[in-house]
Amino acid sequence: MIKLHDYELSADCYKVRLLLGILQLPYERLELDVYPEREHRLAAFRAVDPLGRVPVLDDDGVILRDWAAILVYLAQRYDGAQRWFPRVDRPDAAQAASLGRLVEWLSFAQRLAGSAGAARLHDTIFEPADIERCRASAHELFRMLDEHLWFAEQQDCPWLCGRDPTIADLACFPDVVLSEEGGVSRLPYPAIRRWTDRIKRLPNFTTMAGVFPA
Amino acid sequence: MIESVLWDDWHVVAELAELQRRGVWHTRLLGVALIVQWDPESGLIRARRAAEDPRSGSARAVEALEVRYGFVWVSLGRPTRPIVEFAECHEPDRLLATAGSVGVAVSGLRAVENFLDLSHLAFVHEGYLGEQPHTEIAPYAVETLADGTLRATGCRVYQPKPSPVESAGFDVDYIYAVLRPYIVVLFKANPVEQSRKDMIALFVQPVTEESCVAHILTCYLPHEIHPPTVRRFQQFIFGQDRPILENQTPKRLPLGARAEASVRADLSSASYRRWLDAAGVRFGAIAASA
Amino acid sequence: MKRWFPVARREELSPRHVVHTQLLSQELAVWRDDAGGINAWENRCPHRGVRLSIGTNTGSELQCRYHGWRFASGSGRCSFIPAHPTQKPASTLRPQVYPVLEHGGHVWVALQPVGADAAEPPPPPPQPADGLSLRSLYVRAPAARIAAALLRGYRLVADQVAPVEQIDEFSLRATLTAGTRGPALQFWLQPMSASATTIHGCLDGTIGPAERLAVLRHHNTQFTLLREESERFG
Repeated sequence: MIKLHDYELSADCYKVRLLLGILQLPYERLELDVYPEREHRLAAFRAVDPLGRVPVLDDDGVILRDWAAILVYLAQRYDGAQRWFPRVDRPDAAQAASLGRLVEWLSFAQRLAGSAGAARLHDTIFEPADIERCRASAHELFRMLDEHLWFAEQQDCPWLCGRDPTIADLACFPDVVLSEEGGVSRLPYPAIRRWTDRIKRLPNFTTMAGVFPA
Repeated sequence: MIESVLWDDWHVVAELAELQRRGVWHTRLLGVALIVQWDPESGLIRARRAAEDPRSGSARAVEALEVRYGFVWVSLGRPTRPIVEFAECHEPDRLLATAGSVGVAVSGLRAVENFLDLSHLAFVHEGYLGEQPHTEIAPYAVETLADGTLRATGCRVYQPKPSPVESAGFDVDYIYAVLRPYIVVLFKANPVEQSRKDMIALFVQPVTEESCVAHILTCYLPHEIHPPTVRRFQQFIFGQDRPILENQTPKRLPLGARAEASVRADLSSASYRRWLDAAGVRFGAIAASA
Repeated sequence: MKRWFPVARREELSPRHVVHTQLLSQELAVWRDDAGGINAWENRCPHRGVRLSIGTNTGSELQCRYHGWRFASGSGRCSFIPAHPTQKPASTLRPQVYPVLEHGGHVWVALQPVGADAAEPPPPPPQPADGLSLRSLYVRAPAARIAAALLRGYRLVADQVAPVEQIDEFSLRATLTAGTRGPALQFWLQPMSASATTIHGCLDGTIGPAERLAVLRHHNTQFTLLREESERFG
């Protein structure tokens, strides 16, 4: 049984819970008292992750400590149809570029966490942050994302990496859909709003506190 | 000038454990910037008004400061009443758990009203505190007691998972008490000792007229429930309410009877608005006559 | 203001979606029902003021996210209050409904109340029959500043800056060859608020499928430059 060291309100944990739900993988949630107790920083949890972060996945002894690593692992191991992290043996130039672009979006998701995500933590649980800078960065990233999604829709590829959703979409979704909790409105981004709707309509999509169903 | 009913009362400004973790806690109460400090050696807690302009000279100490129920309470004025009292919190077999302070970008009065509201339970907290199609709200009663506080009784909701450890759903009876404009408490029968009530208190700190901090306290009989579980459940439930609250317009609570439509199920909220108006509460509100 | 403004491209009213937009500081929830009828309502549930744009488009109603109140497409009348499921809601319970129509490639709204006594909405502005609707762009600048920037000229094709004429306060036209029919670009400025505007555009003339994407990208780049210029002096 997969075990997930987890926290309900963590956007990073939600990325993993989304994929676990979509792949219909049963798992046990080991919920930590992240706020206000900071349980993830205590010595007992440092034995699980020296950096004291969630999520951490434990799949029968296989331990992974980073949301991106966990998404790639789960997609590789359990997605028989190879849709969520499409990979081929001996890729040609185009296939290699596709994979590179998917990873670009995983990096983009990390930037979203550091801007929109940080703004949310500042406004909700008073994590120190340069709030104006976080919001400004979030808007810059959202402008880029809205433009990319608009042109993707024009080519009948309504997902970040083409015709089908991938872990890139799941990775970017939480910090985007929760952005208003950090004072970053999505009113200026109609293509992003349509994309979040599409994600909510994926089979076996799951919500978290703060995310409404479709 | 902020009305005395708020200015001269006690308000939570920090959770004690969080203050101890950080040492210094910057916050704002009724628009006034405050710095709360904890000295680990002496254990002393002090609060002072942050000097808005660093050149303007010494910042003024806030004299009225108490620690109660795991929270730091202050008054910016001269309190004539003590901090709210809960007999339950003194019972020796009870546990107190705070659920972390959460910022919300809406008037604290809207947060209190949301806590009182029954008809959102089957929608916002679907599968936990309510469930479709059990959406009908039967009549209940609201009265003002002799001590000036508001009581809603006979509130009954079908709940699929009323608390962290219950696995079956049933009808739950709620009693609500609005003890201060920004303080509301929910009482519900403990699932094991049905004659005694578990208590969830929402202490709302009015930061500005359009923003607040929600501090949650649970005081319960710990039959097989531990504080982390209680904390997680409260955070989960409040996490579901927060985006609703932040999407309400206007951000301040309109007190006029005609400002927003009410139906019979909204008896608590309609009564609460009248009660606030009669008490002269204006901070965080849009007056009835406006 | 008794005039029509574009608020979205038609395709943006996708099935079961609710568009969140704003006109002259009035927030709007704009949506299409399953039969194709479109609605533009004030973005506020009359019950407790929650934004209808975070609600659910059921295909025939908009359901508020807070207490599940449902409002019927067309009239906006409240059709169901879950807390009192057997009662018929009062006919006065509804968000403000605004006149809305589809014209050319866009959805247009007039900010005047719909009702028995309300004046007829003005006739929609003329629009060429064939046109390519461009990507709309949200700019954090007042409409007047964007218009002023446009009047300095617009790069209609890669190597040519076209003169721009102002038709009225919120519409302008760029034409390569003055007085002729094309190529030309019609701009409409949707004033979201005093400090933000969405630029909509429609390009005259036939664009073949092979060049469509390139043309859309070109104008998106031009709009983006216009945005940078307009936001710089804010």
